[in-house]
Amino acid sequence: METLYDIYRRRGYSRRDFLKSALLLSTALGLSSSMLTDVVRALETKPKPVVIWLEFQDCAGCTESFIRSTSLLPADVLLDYVSLEYHEILMAPSGFYAEESKREAMEKHRGKYVLIVEGSVSPDRGGAYCTVAGRSNLELLKEAAEGAGLIIAVGSCASWGGIPHAYPNPTGAIPVSEALRGRQVVNIPGCPPIGDVMVSVIAGYVLTGKSPELDSMGRPKTFYGQTVHDRCYRRPFYNAGRFASSFDDEGAKKGYCLYRLGCKGPVTRNACATIRWNGGISFPIQSGHPCFGCSEPDFWDRGMIYTPLSVVSGGFGLKEALAGVAVGTAVGVSVAYMNKKLRGGK
Amino acid sequence: MTDVAFYDFVRGPLLRFALFVFFLGIAYRFFRVLFLGLPPDYAKPKGNPYLMAVKKIVIKPTMGWTFNEIFSRRAINFIGGFLFHLGFIGLTFFVPAHALLWKEITGIPFPVLPNIVSDILAYAALGSLIALTMHRALNPVLKLLTGKDEYFANFLIAMILFTGLLATRWAGGGSYIWLLSLHMFLADLLILYIPFSRLSHFVYYFLSVGFMGWNAGKRGVSF
Ligand code: SF4
Ligand code: SF4
Repeated sequence: METLYDIYRRRGYSRRDFLKSALLLSTALGLSSSMLTDVVRALETKPKPVVIWLEFQDCAGCTESFIRSTSLLPADVLLDYVSLEYHEILMAPSGFYAEESKREAMEKHRGKYVLIVEGSVSPDRGGAYCTVAGRSNLELLKEAAEGAGLIIAVGSCASWGGIPHAYPNPTGAIPVSEALRGRQVVNIPGCPPIGDVMVSVIAGYVLTGKSPELDSMGRPKTFYGQTVHDRCYRRPFYNAGRFASSFDDEGAKKGYCLYRLGCKGPVTRNACATIRWNGGISFPIQSGHPCFGCSEPDFWDRGMIYTPLSVVSGGFGLKEALAGVAVGTAVGVSVAYMNKKLRGGK
Repeated sequence: MTDVAFYDFVRGPLLRFALFVFFLGIAYRFFRVLFLGLPPDYAKPKGNPYLMAVKKIVIKPTMGWTFNEIFSRRAINFIGGFLFHLGFIGLTFFVPAHALLWKEITGIPFPVLPNIVSDILAYAALGSLIALTMHRALNPVLKLLTGKDEYFANFLIAMILFTGLLATRWAGGGSYIWLLSLHMFLADLLILYIPFSRLSHFVYYFLSVGFMGWNAGKRGVSF
């Protein structure tokens, strides 16, 4: 069985490149530096992870993000290392052969493979809204989950229901964790999630044989333990009360905080501000756009993309305030008048 | 319930309801008292009641401002009361997150305070609130005038100040959203509670002080 180190050698990378990846990986996983030798040894000896990747009600954005994860492993190494036994978009076989190879992989690696699910599940109408090879998504999910060593829901759709689950949820979409009640599911939400986070969790499973430490909503604490706001480099401007008021005003040019433009960073748990995107180049706030809150449940239904977080959601303006005042005045005046009447005008 | 769902509830339906009750309740109480009117008084006014009413409203806040009055006799009331009101008003309207909320409601842009100033205001308001509450509990006369209403209101406001401070000081960790939501939930409760409590004095203040001035003007006496 090939290991990560073998792949590096075969692809012509140096040992230094390999060690660099091992270091980055252990940092990403929050392991202490004293464990680096163990990590290196494990990556030299442990066989590469076998992954079965199912797609249900999704847009394949998570897959796109995954194959662009280049901070930890070079792209060619990544696709060799994470052995995608079944992935509708990335695998060569199709039709009957594809299904056959999935069945074989599930049998051969029973109890050990990583099951990744992208997209939401819809059990409604016997699963008629989403079928693959003539079988319903729920059935396929349960079958693949049975022999999985680790189940990962990637993206907000698989983690929370995501866009298919948005009001009025016509297909009755539910998250993977709900479809697999009783099983542990690692949620890696985001629309899409950061590729490096997905890779870290898979590699972490190879290293430790366990799922990462999760929070109460099933997210790895290392990556979702803090809000974007906690680690945002624009935070000093937030603290100083300096905000951009439009996308091209002076404040925006000076890089002021984007809270007023609707930034959801304060209530969004994700690692964008630390790991960043596309090999660590940038992230939305760095490019001048407020955080969208895509890794939190039902972010789509919460709308208000460009309204500040503190504004009443659903709206409350002068009209509503005056309506309250008008009703209060009318009732107050009539009660006072009645009181006066009762006292005989005194 | 997930933390974001709770967050959405306290800043959505609950806040909308609280604000509606607030505006309705305050208007109700104000006009009910105003239109209750006074028994007819057939005596000819000896001075100018309306002028005196305005005068009283304008100069009342400064009337006790003699050195002796402030520092030797009612220090806690004066200094504590001043700091608390300054902090409360400053924080309610000019903390950036709050200012944006008021802009949405009134349509008028509010200036915003930097964090350091709001922090100072919050510490000042919290400290003076604690001092004022202890003073109430210990002072033999004030004790008689104080009921559950005051203690509850003071506790609620103190918790709002405390959770607000904690939230802005928060440096990392997943429970931030619970904390922020708790801060907003308590604020929703306060907004709901104001019209039913003595906290609505910010409306009656002008009414009662104005009446005192008006009365003095009518009788031609000074105040
Ligand atoms: S989470 Fe976002 S990127 Fe992933 S499948 Fe859903 S919509 Fe697409
Ligand atoms: S840009 Fe957003 S995340 Fe960054 S400090 Fe401002 S509000 Fe927080």
